[in-house]
Amino acid sequence: MSQPLFRPGTSRRTVLRGALGLGALAAAGPLLAACGGEAGEALDPTGRPDLDGVTLKVLVNQPNAGAFEILRKSFKAETGADLQITPVAYDKLLAKSVLDVQSGAGQFDVIMYWYVGLGTLAAGGVLEDLTAYIKANPDIDTGDLLPSIYDPYTLYEGKRWGLPFDGDTHILYYNTELFERYTLEAPRTWEDSNAAAEKITKDSRGEHYGVIIEGQQVPIILGCTFANRLVGFGGRFLDEAGKPVLASDEAVAALQSVLDAAPHALPTPLQTGFDQALPAFLSGKAAQLEFWTDHSVKAQDPEHSQVVDKWDVVTLPVGGSNTKPATSLDAGFALGVSTLSKRKEAAAAFVKFAASKKQNEAQIADPTSGSDPIRTSTLSAPVFKKSFGRAADVVAEGLSGSPLVWPNGPKAPELLQVLVDELALAFQGKQQARQTLEKVHSAWEKELG
Amino acid sequence: MSRRLLTALLAPVAVLMAVPLVYIVSLSLRSRDDVLNGGLLPSEVFWRNWPDTFGAIDLPRHLANSWVVAAGAVALTLAIAVPAAHYTARARRSGERLLSLVLASYCAPPVVAVLPLFYLLRTTGLNNTLAGLVLVTGLANVPVAVWLLDGFVRRVPQEIEEAAWLDGLGGWGVLRHVIAPLIAPGIVASGLICFFLGYNELLFALSFAQETSVQTLPVALSLFQGDRNIQFGRQAVASIVGVAPVYVLALLAQRRLVAGLSAGAVK
Amino acid sequence: MAEGAITRPAGLTRRRAVRRARLPRVSRWQAAPVTAALLVFSGYPLVYLVGLALTESTLARPLQSWVGSDNFRNALDNEIFTGSLWRSTLFAVLAAAGQLVIGTGLALALAARARRLGLLGGLLLLPLVTPPVMVGVAWKLLLAPVGGAVNGTLALVGLPAVNPLGDERGAFWTLVVIDTWQWTPFVVLLVYAALLGVPEELREAAVLDGAGHWRLLVSVVLPYLRPALLAVFLLRLVGGFKVFDIVYVVTAGGPGAATNTSTYEIQRTALESFQVGTAAAETLVFSVMVGAVATIVALVRRRAVRAER
Repeated sequence: MSQPLFRPGTSRRTVLRGALGLGALAAAGPLLAACGGEAGEALDPTGRPDLDGVTLKVLVNQPNAGAFEILRKSFKAETGADLQITPVAYDKLLAKSVLDVQSGAGQFDVIMYWYVGLGTLAAGGVLEDLTAYIKANPDIDTGDLLPSIYDPYTLYEGKRWGLPFDGDTHILYYNTELFERYTLEAPRTWEDSNAAAEKITKDSRGEHYGVIIEGQQVPIILGCTFANRLVGFGGRFLDEAGKPVLASDEAVAALQSVLDAAPHALPTPLQTGFDQALPAFLSGKAAQLEFWTDHSVKAQDPEHSQVVDKWDVVTLPVGGSNTKPATSLDAGFALGVSTLSKRKEAAAAFVKFAASKKQNEAQIADPTSGSDPIRTSTLSAPVFKKSFGRAADVVAEGLSGSPLVWPNGPKAPELLQVLVDELALAFQGKQQARQTLEKVHSAWEKELG
Repeated sequence: MSRRLLTALLAPVAVLMAVPLVYIVSLSLRSRDDVLNGGLLPSEVFWRNWPDTFGAIDLPRHLANSWVVAAGAVALTLAIAVPAAHYTARARRSGERLLSLVLASYCAPPVVAVLPLFYLLRTTGLNNTLAGLVLVTGLANVPVAVWLLDGFVRRVPQEIEEAAWLDGLGGWGVLRHVIAPLIAPGIVASGLICFFLGYNELLFALSFAQETSVQTLPVALSLFQGDRNIQFGRQAVASIVGVAPVYVLALLAQRRLVAGLSAGAVK
Repeated sequence: MAEGAITRPAGLTRRRAVRRARLPRVSRWQAAPVTAALLVFSGYPLVYLVGLALTESTLARPLQSWVGSDNFRNALDNEIFTGSLWRSTLFAVLAAAGQLVIGTGLALALAARARRLGLLGGLLLLPLVTPPVMVGVAWKLLLAPVGGAVNGTLALVGLPAVNPLGDERGAFWTLVVIDTWQWTPFVVLLVYAALLGVPEELREAAVLDGAGHWRLLVSVVLPYLRPALLAVFLLRLVGGFKVFDIVYVVTAGGPGAATNTSTYEIQRTALESFQVGTAAAETLVFSVMVGAVATIVALVRRRAVRAER
């Protein structure tokens, strides 16, 4: 499917083309080339590609590059096909894949995507529809894929656009030494967490900080911080029908809870990104950190951590009237096939391979991969317990429940931008929690129509 | 003022300027939990970052790509800008109009231009090639070079050009035999500055070089930045390895630059 | 050899030829390469940009349908963007002015010290060569409120900790300082070069008139440098308007929108929330503003250049 220059049926297309065409001789060639379309042939769902000697080009999220080196070896051993891996910074991944297909460059066969970009990629014609392929390949065993992530990661407008690869969630890390020193219990509720934060920061007189609030206003950082409390207080971003429910009492209480913690956090939340948060926790300077599960590997690495065996994890706390813990799908990646790939069957075969039970377990077995379970069977595999250690139960609990799903429609990137901008204003004390979320709510309503 | 006094005045400034650079060197020798240790120096020297960086990324390749792109871009920039600056400096109104146009083209931030340029490169088969990066980077720096060179050309006394003209030389002839030799230091200075700009260019390199084999050093540096668990030590190593040869180039060029600059300064 | 506007007609007398020779001697074709470059690199993207600005456009689906001025309205209704225009202007003016003043001072001192930059001068150039991403990282870590080298050093000498990146004004000024740190060498290099061009006769004449160091500087050197200073200022002004890397690395536009400059906001709109149509409209609005500010400086420079003739 090629990208039309204009959506068919646009009444003013002639006017527009005329306006653009005039005095735009230089533009004409490339513009037309853009809609000339060199999309590969449609994917044959039952095709059995000969993989031997094929090289697939894969666009990969930088933090997962290590995981793909592991995959590459086993894929090659099993099929004879090689991978050419292109890592991209997490915040450039979506733009890069869209640009690649939009411009017609078609440099990649397989695209790794953050599920928040699913709608953008599917509606934008970047991802190949895999519905028929998945149906024709029962060995994918979709029933084993974790229901909590399978749909959010891959289902858009009733079709499947990929298969899950990395089921990311946050858990709460805390420094056991500091908690013991101040006779604190592992936090079960956000109220506990905030109280611990206040006590440690106050009593240590600036030597330690009770909590790290990651508030740098980019969706993957501040968005996670808010989402973790939102789910704890029993709130949601969108309801079943896809309508925003951000002005709810739960959401307001959740935001208020983060704002209450801010004064006791590593200074200052708005300027805290991963680059300050991780060293602060690893050096033992700060006592609590919400982060991805793979952090546990680094926390146990004596070369880079001063808190080896001095930390533990709990599932994200609950708050307010909510007593049922749940986690939030913070980040989380799936693999899809590029519409411009010239080896779609091979690409799909790799996506299937990467999502297989065997490979997911192999990923889990290697602590350097940073990958998380995507299958129910993986959660009960011995290798999972072994690799994730003290985090295993917490992760399993989160993924088998009903975690908070972020927006993933075509407007999602825009929605999250609005959200973090408004949250930042609240952190600055320029608006109250309720006012903030009401503004976000109405902006979202407007966007989602 | 005496030379010693001036040195005494300048030295602290140089030291102050150097603090962040010393810090980068110090970062390259720190383990991850030592990054925020509250001091300028590592609490314990951690050499492992150096071999690890070369193991983690293909540093020589990125370095070579950066040099090819920066040098190629400078050549392209100067090939366009030198004749253009002669024109803007000497063609009166038409020249001034062109100079304004060049300036205007420099005012727009290039983010959105990435899209049309992407089409252009793809259509010409230059996407994902070093040649494509040379082309866009070279063109992007033309305004800077024209603006700098224009001043150098204006410094050349018109009488010299008149004499050359009477000898029967045309515009190109005057440029080649009279102007170019006289503004050589200016060309070196502008070239050097364009080299720095091209060497550190990120947006185009990030957009038009998809494969690792054509990525420049700034792209590799930004990839460190794109990790959740940033390897500051390795990022610092890669930066130092990237900066060192350029610094040597700058020191070498400086002699030639300054020696002849008295002939025609920027104006 | 191709000749342009002013060719020498055959059979001119020598006197007339000399008079004609006072006219500019340059071939029109010398402007051809730059014209082609402008067409390809600016003209064509501009047409495309206008197209995007007038249509509903996302990154994945540009040029969907005509929307007239909607994108411009979106851009101008967005407080972050309109605020960014002011922030960018303030940033560009402050940073460029700071760089010009400090850079000129350093260049004067260097030139008075020796006719070679030397090792000291070379050291001063280093920030210019350092990749902007690394510059941002180094400064951010230096200034980290907890565990940063600046606060560590302050604590050693018993001074209270600072956190300039934690509040709006501090973050903005910090970026101005970082930009100044990185680009002052650019000014040093070019002004130093210009200084070496000050004709010895001028100096000597002034000294014969009994001018001291200060008078020499104010009434001879600086006026001589004026066109060069304005050209350098102009380049840094536009460069300041286009600041991106350090914003991205050091503050990500925060806290709040305190350091969200226009280029950062445009990048966010285009490549993070994918509203390419709005981003195109923002680019056009912003470019016009930069153009206006730059034109003022360019006109001042033109007058300075003419006055010298």
